[in-house]
Formats: sequence, structure tokens, C-alpha cells
Amino acid sequence: MSQTRFPNRILPYLLLAPMVVIVIIFFLYPSAQSLYLSVFRVSPLGDRKIFVGLENFTRLLSSKDYLNSLLVSVRFAGIVVLFGLSASLVSAVIANQRLRGFAVYRALMIWPYALSPAIAGLVWGLMMNPNFGLGAVLLKRFTGIEFNYLTNGTSALLFLALAAMWKMFGYNIVFFLAGLQGLPTELLEAASLDGAGAWTKFWRVTFPLLSPTTFFLFVMNTLYAFFEVFGLVHITTGGGPGQATNLLVFNLYKDGFIAMNVGYASAQSILLLIMVATLTILQFRYAGEKVHYQ
Amino acid sequence: MKLRQFQILFSLMLVFAMLLTACAQATPAPTEEPAPATTEEPAPAATEEPAPAATEEPAPAATEEPAAPAETVEITFWHAMSGSREEIVNGIAERFNATHPGIVVKPEYTGSYAETVTKGLAAYRTGTAPTIVQSYEVGTRTMYDSGAIVPVYTLNTGDVDWEEVVTPIRKYYTLEGNLPCMPFNSSTAMIYYNKDMFEAAGLDPNVPPTTWDDIESMSKAIMDAGLATGGLSMGWPAWIFEQMFAYHDQLLANNDNGRSAIASEVYLNSEFGVKMMTRWQELADDDILVYGGREYAANDPFLAGQFPFLVQSTSSLGGILKSATFKVGTAFLPRLGDEYPQGNSVIGGACLWVFDSATPEQQAAAWEFFKFTFSTEEAITWHKGTGYFPTSVSAYEQLKTEGWFEEEPNHATAFNQILGGADTPASNGVILGDFVTIRDIVGAAIEEVVVNGMDPKEALDKATADTNQVLADYISLLP
Repeated sequence: MSQTRFPNRILPYLLLAPMVVIVIIFFLYPSAQSLYLSVFRVSPLGDRKIFVGLENFTRLLSSKDYLNSLLVSVRFAGIVVLFGLSASLVSAVIANQRLRGFAVYRALMIWPYALSPAIAGLVWGLMMNPNFGLGAVLLKRFTGIEFNYLTNGTSALLFLALAAMWKMFGYNIVFFLAGLQGLPTELLEAASLDGAGAWTKFWRVTFPLLSPTTFFLFVMNTLYAFFEVFGLVHITTGGGPGQATNLLVFNLYKDGFIAMNVGYASAQSILLLIMVATLTILQFRYAGEKVHYQ
Repeated sequence: MKLRQFQILFSLMLVFAMLLTACAQATPAPTEEPAPATTEEPAPAATEEPAPAATEEPAPAATEEPAAPAETVEITFWHAMSGSREEIVNGIAERFNATHPGIVVKPEYTGSYAETVTKGLAAYRTGTAPTIVQSYEVGTRTMYDSGAIVPVYTLNTGDVDWEEVVTPIRKYYTLEGNLPCMPFNSSTAMIYYNKDMFEAAGLDPNVPPTTWDDIESMSKAIMDAGLATGGLSMGWPAWIFEQMFAYHDQLLANNDNGRSAIASEVYLNSEFGVKMMTRWQELADDDILVYGGREYAANDPFLAGQFPFLVQSTSSLGGILKSATFKVGTAFLPRLGDEYPQGNSVIGGACLWVFDSATPEQQAAAWEFFKFTFSTEEAITWHKGTGYFPTSVSAYEQLKTEGWFEEEPNHATAFNQILGGADTPASNGVILGDFVTIRDIVGAAIEEVVVNGMDPKEALDKATADTNQVLADYISLLP
């Protein structure tokens, strides 16, 4: 494809300007501010600062609570990405078939994405409330499993992952469906003629061809699990019980906005930024190589 | 083609969503607080409030001439009272506005306690602070040291005798000899117990436990009878741990618990602290003490009839009486035996602070409002509506003569507990800098001991070291 040439030299910059401004105001400026504050100890009102060098970082990295929070986040992201993506892919493949009423199914599956995290949290919180939630009560009656996300740490993390996956379900399905519908039918027909069954067709043809979509969703879900689940945690578990669901973003909120240790919280946001950047680069480096672009 | 359209539509939606979030982030200040700009110019304020004050005024000139309302002082009041409490706060403000021409109090719910304090300080920096902000007890030192407040005792024009404030409440908030804020809603902790379970187990429901040993033996009797799966759970365990220090007259920090000067050292791992924590661990090992989270989740097993005992804030009383399907008894906090002197239980709740960014007129108006909330009548309404202590002694006397405590003996328990206790720096409770973080540290230590079986001394040594570090950091930032 040849490069498109703009006759006007200023127009491209003008067209780019709004996005550049948005990035500067909402990303670069706050990030620079965080980087600056991360080497200070700051008073709650923010009027007094003491330069402490890298102390905030060394303290974080030697803090048992922070390392625990990191572990919890990694576990949480692992569950959300692995199970969330698998479930969405299976559902998308099923929804992609020409079943009766499939339009309704598709619409229903995409629905959760339209809800705010707060509402998703409320719905799941009520449903799984150990004392009066229908989900928890039925689970106990039929399986004997005591699912108390308010006092049991494992239950709490699973509960949160479940709600987070459900919330992301619609987003994943939209992309998987779009990917599935964009697949070249000739290849699938050829495979059928060669006598491949549905299983083989899926693994040998569909799945490799779908890899750009899967890879994109892999990145998006990882970012989601690390960054965007704050609302969910805030409204359901509040990081508890104990530290069981104290994800990195929530820990940052607690230190920054509840305890008002702005410097310490800024250091955490810098670490979080580094982690996610590294993760994304690694994904593009290694997972990206295996992706087959048509 | 269809797919293409879909993609375009989807990307448009994404852009739209991003714009929305961008807008939401861009303009928090103006949407939350449109008023303060107008407070300096009283004229537009009068258009918003169609003169509830003016109707009281006999001189009708004010309603016609826009120049006259210059006397109207508008003050905003940010608070964290949600649900039915918000209605009660609004009620106080309405009655105040109706009886105080020239002053308009505007209460605004600004989220949880923590959010209210954070927002208040953030607004102060940008020059949009309210006149009055409510801060929870752990925010006391932060507010006091912020340099952004006018101490309430300086506003007192001699018309309130501080001795009229119920002593343990006054003493809790007193720093360096004076009250920096106006006590508003106060509670403490006590034992709740299930009287039906007592009867079923053959115990006298009118003889509640008084010591941790009683809790142990009574729980065992009830559990052995197959009536309960555990003995007790505790709400706000880190706060209960503080309560235990004060209740046994043990200092928790130096400088008279941080009252004569700011505390720089805590005694969490004192002989008493270790003994208390060890006792809790023993109870946990026998399945009597069951960890119930850091806030109110502890109420659930008690309400579900699974445990006979609950140690919780008195502010839960109304809710518990409403939802319990059994007879609820209340009692004083349990003691660790007689070797330690009797102290007092500690006040929790919140206090009202005045920002120094308010004009002198607004500060005077805030004081008028404080006096109003402190009046016998309002204090009684507040107590009956919320279950919080009435702050004034005369309100307490009035309730007593009315026979309210005989009707509601459970409301009397907490009161008798704080009024019957000692008045020493140790029993007035501790005030610490960055108290939020410290409660978190102590909460984690309790979890380690009670849930994970860590050695109490080891856990408390670590908590003490961590807390002292937090205090040193806090002090380093003071002017």
C-alpha cells in the first residue's frame, strides 16, 4: 500500500491535535506529577514535602503487605485472563452458529459490558451475599459449599474474579464474534472436504486464524484485570477480608486517598505503570511472534 | 460490509466512551461544589434559597430589595451521614435555618468519612472548602495538624460551658488542653448477647459476662449444648484492641496517649498488649473467637443465631434490635481480670471542624449552628434517631427524667459504661498521627495472631516497629 499524501502540511497536525492534547492532559502530565511526587514524603494537605529519594520504592518492595498485594493481583489477573477468555471464546463459537434466535443470544451476551463496574459489583454482591443471596444459598443447598466472600479469602478472590470476568464477557464476545465472522470460508470448506471434523477444524483452522483477535483480547484483559477493576473491589469486598482481595490498584487508593500518603501512593502508581508496560512489551515480543496475521 | 459498519460503530462508541470518562475526570470540582464561589457574594445565594429566613423577619423590605440580603450568611456543611442519618442531619439544618434568620446552612453528603476528609482537604487547597467538615475520630490529628482549621474553642463566645459536654466525649477530642472541634456523633463499643441462647443453655439471661473468662465459660456451655457453632466475633478488631487498653487504664502511646504533645511511640507490645492478644489467640484456638472481618461482617453470625456474643460499636444497636429474631442483651466490655485498674471505653464517631478559609461571618454562623446541634432538644432528637450519644449532659439528664433509659435499657448500657469509667489520659483513649494507616497495621497483626496463629509477641513487636516508623514519618512533616 502506498503512503497517502496530504496536500496540506498543517492539516495532519490539526487532525492529530485533539488526541495529543488529551494524551498530554490526562496521561503525560499526571504521570510526570506522579513521578515527581514519588520521591517525596507529602503531608495530607499536600503543602509540606520532604525529599526522600527512593525510600518510597525500597519500602514498598520490602513491605510484606505490598508483595502480598502483588501476588493477589497476579493470581486475579491469571484467573480473569485464562478463564475469562476461554469462556468467551467457547460462547462466541456457539453464538456464531446459525441457531434459532441467535440474535437474541448475542445481544444478551454483550449486555454485561454496558453496565458500570459499580452496578456489576452490586448485582454480584447481592446475589452471592452469604446470608440472603440467592446464589450463595442455592450453592450451599445443592453442593454444601459454604461460599462466604465476606469472611473467606479464597471465596472472596474467586467471587471478584467471577464478577470481573462476567463484566468483560460481552467485550470479549464482540471481538471474538467479529473475528469469527471475518474468517475466510474457503479455508473451512477446504478443511471439510479434506474430511476434518468440527474439533480439528476449530483447532487447526479457526483458532490459528483467530490469533490476532485472541492476542488483542489477551492484552486488553490483562490491562483490565490490573487497572480497571477498582470500582468492583471498592463496592464489594473493599480489599478484604484481611488482605485477600487487596489488588494493587486498590492498595494504591487506600494509601493515597484514605491514608493520604500521596508520595507513597505515587510510588505505587509508578511501579504499576512499569509493571504493565513491561507486561505489554513482553506480550508483544513473545506472544506476538506466534500471532498469525493474514 | 456489515462487519465494516459494525467496526465503525464500535469505534465511535469507544471514542464516545473515552470522551465521557475524560469529561468526568476533567470537571469533578465544579459539579461537586458549585456553591462556594457564590458564598462570597451573598446576592446570588438569596436567589437559590427563596428566603426561608426572610419569612421569619418582620421587616418585609428584605424580600423586595436585593441589597438587603447582604446579611445572609451561607455555610456549607460536608458530612458522611448516609441513609436515614442524612435525613436527620437535613432535619437539623432545616430547623436551624427556620429559626435563624440571616444564616443558611447547607448540608451536603460527601461520601464515606475517609472521602469526606480527603475531599475537604483537597477543596481547601483549591480554595473551595466548605465552612464545616465532619471528620471521623481517626482523622482528628490529621485535621488538627493540617493548619487549615480554626479550633472550635476559639469560636466559643462564652455561651457554651465545655463542662456541659459529656466528659469522656470532651476528653477524647481534647488536644493540648482544648477542644479543636465540635463533637457531633459519638459511640463506643460493648457486648451484645443472645438472651434466648442463654435460656436454652440454662444460663441466667440477666447475668451477662463481665470478663473474658466469662465469655469463654459461657460460650463453652452454649456450644456444648449444641446451640452455637462459635462463641463470639468482633467488629473493628483494631479499635476493640484500643478499647481494651483504655478499658484497663493502660497507656497505648507516649505523651499521655498523644494528648499533651504528639505521640511518637506506641506500647502495642507492652505486657498488657501481649497478654490481651494471647487471650484472644487462646479463644480462637478453642473456636470460641471467630474472626469476623474488619468492619461490620462480624454482625452476621450473631444475627443469624450462630454465635451467642458480639463485640461491636454501639452504633450498630438500632440495626441489631431491628433485625434480630431473638431477645438481645447488652453489657459492658469484658475485662481481663482484676489485676489491671478500671479504665473507660473509648469514644468513636466524628467531630465537626471549621476551615480557616471561611469568612469571620461564616465562622460565627458555624458556631451558631454548633450551639444549635448541642441544644438539649436537638441532642435528644439526634440520640433517639441515630442511637449516637447525646453530647450534652443536660440532654442526658432530660432523657433520664423522661424515663427513656428504662424503656430502652440497651441504650443505657453504653452510657453507663462511659459515665462509670475512670478519667485518666490512658482511659481517654489514644490519638495518633496517620491513625488510618496505624489501624490497618494493628488490624493486620490481629489477623496474623487470631487467624494465622502467629506468636502474639512477635506480631505485636512488628506492629509496634511499623507504627513507630509511621509516627516518625508523620512527625517529620509537621511544620
